[in-house]
Amino acid sequence: MLGLAAEENVLRIHIDELVFGLIAFVLIFVLVYKYAVPRITKMLDERADSIEGGIERAKQAEAGAEELRQQYREKLEEAHRSYAAELQKAGEQRAAILAEAREEAQVEARRIIEAAHAQIEADRQHALHQLRTEIGTLSTDLATRIVGETLADNAAQGRVIDRFLAELEQDQSTQQAEVR
Amino acid sequence: MSADTLNLAAEGGGGLFTPGGPGFEAPSVGIFFPSPWVDYDIPMTSGITKYAVLLAVASGLALLFLWWTSRKQSLVPNRSQSIGEIFFLFIREQISRPMMGVKGDKYLPLLISLFIFVFAMNIMGIIPFLQLPVTSNLSYPVGIALVVYVTFIVVGIRSQGGVGKYLKGAVVPSGAPGWILPLLVPIEIISNFLIRPATHAIRVFATMFAGHLLLATFAAAGWYMFNPAAGPLFGTISVLFSGASLLAFVVFTAFELVIMFLQAFVFTLLAALYIGQAQEAH
Repeated sequence: MLGLAAEENVLRIHIDELVFGLIAFVLIFVLVYKYAVPRITKMLDERADSIEGGIERAKQAEAGAEELRQQYREKLEEAHRSYAAELQKAGEQRAAILAEAREEAQVEARRIIEAAHAQIEADRQHALHQLRTEIGTLSTDLATRIVGETLADNAAQGRVIDRFLAELEQDQSTQQAEVR
Repeated sequence: MSADTLNLAAEGGGGLFTPGGPGFEAPSVGIFFPSPWVDYDIPMTSGITKYAVLLAVASGLALLFLWWTSRKQSLVPNRSQSIGEIFFLFIREQISRPMMGVKGDKYLPLLISLFIFVFAMNIMGIIPFLQLPVTSNLSYPVGIALVVYVTFIVVGIRSQGGVGKYLKGAVVPSGAPGWILPLLVPIEIISNFLIRPATHAIRVFATMFAGHLLLATFAAAGWYMFNPAAGPLFGTISVLFSGASLLAFVVFTAFELVIMFLQAFVFTLLAALYIGQAQEAH
């Protein structure tokens, strides 16, 4: 065992040891205060920042993706809407074209019918006119013949009348053929 | 008697069952008074003793630990950095924040220094071959207790806005009726400004002192009882006794480690408590 110092009061305080202790403590304190704690706090703060920043970035990315999705959805809906509109428009156009064509056809048909009517009317008028002229001529002919031939005998008279009537019939049939 | 036994007996070992051998001498407080290697013969000084050397070792270890754990800093912590951060957060979350709240964070460097310094000095008691807690010499706890004492008084004066206000807040309990003040004020003065720093220093000193004495006793007893040369029966008994004592020594060494940590913790906790009280408005 080491040799013992003379003084043996366990509650002694030695000035030199106290000063050594303070010097040692000051050294440790300076290292902690100037070096260790600032570095550790800085790194802890940085880490907290970076973790929070990471969360923030993830949130932003999520928001961006959601926005993009919304945009796509809107575009899709718009496409659906415009498709439906186009379809409707096409249907309307088709109906319009059909209606127009039908109207045109009706007009044309009416026009043709009217033209036919007019033609028939004109032909009829023409035929009537011709008939009237013919009848006049024939009447004049007949009268001339009746007057020109003496009414000597009944037979002759009878023949004249028959011939006239025959001619008349003949004329009428040709006239009718002309009208047709 | 063989020559070996004689040698053992001469060194205080193997005394048990040795007829005419030395009686058991329990370690005295003398073990806390190592003789100086350098003595400068000034009153109130001890000279350079084992304590001063162990103080240097303890401080060196503390400085090395602090440097090692804060040397490399990266966002993804490496091993040494993690240890430093755990230590830092331990002091902050277990001592500083519960005692002083967030506004006490500026005293973290002081608290960290106190803890690591006290713990390093304590741990000298169980490091093989050194085996003497520096804090078992009252001079060292008194030094740092004084630092805390001065700190909390300065903090108190600053945060209360003047010496008078601080002293009034510290020694006049609020809400006490006037007639009892002549009794209370002296008690408060003695309690806050005399007993508080004294107990702060003596608590860690006394624990380390007693713990070391206990370990020394177990070691000495184990050595004293170790006497296999005392014949078949007595030799066996002596070895068993010695073994039990040495086992106790080992167990109590582990126990001491816990106490060393706890005392450093308590010392730092009280420092935080005192500073926190001074900081608060009364």
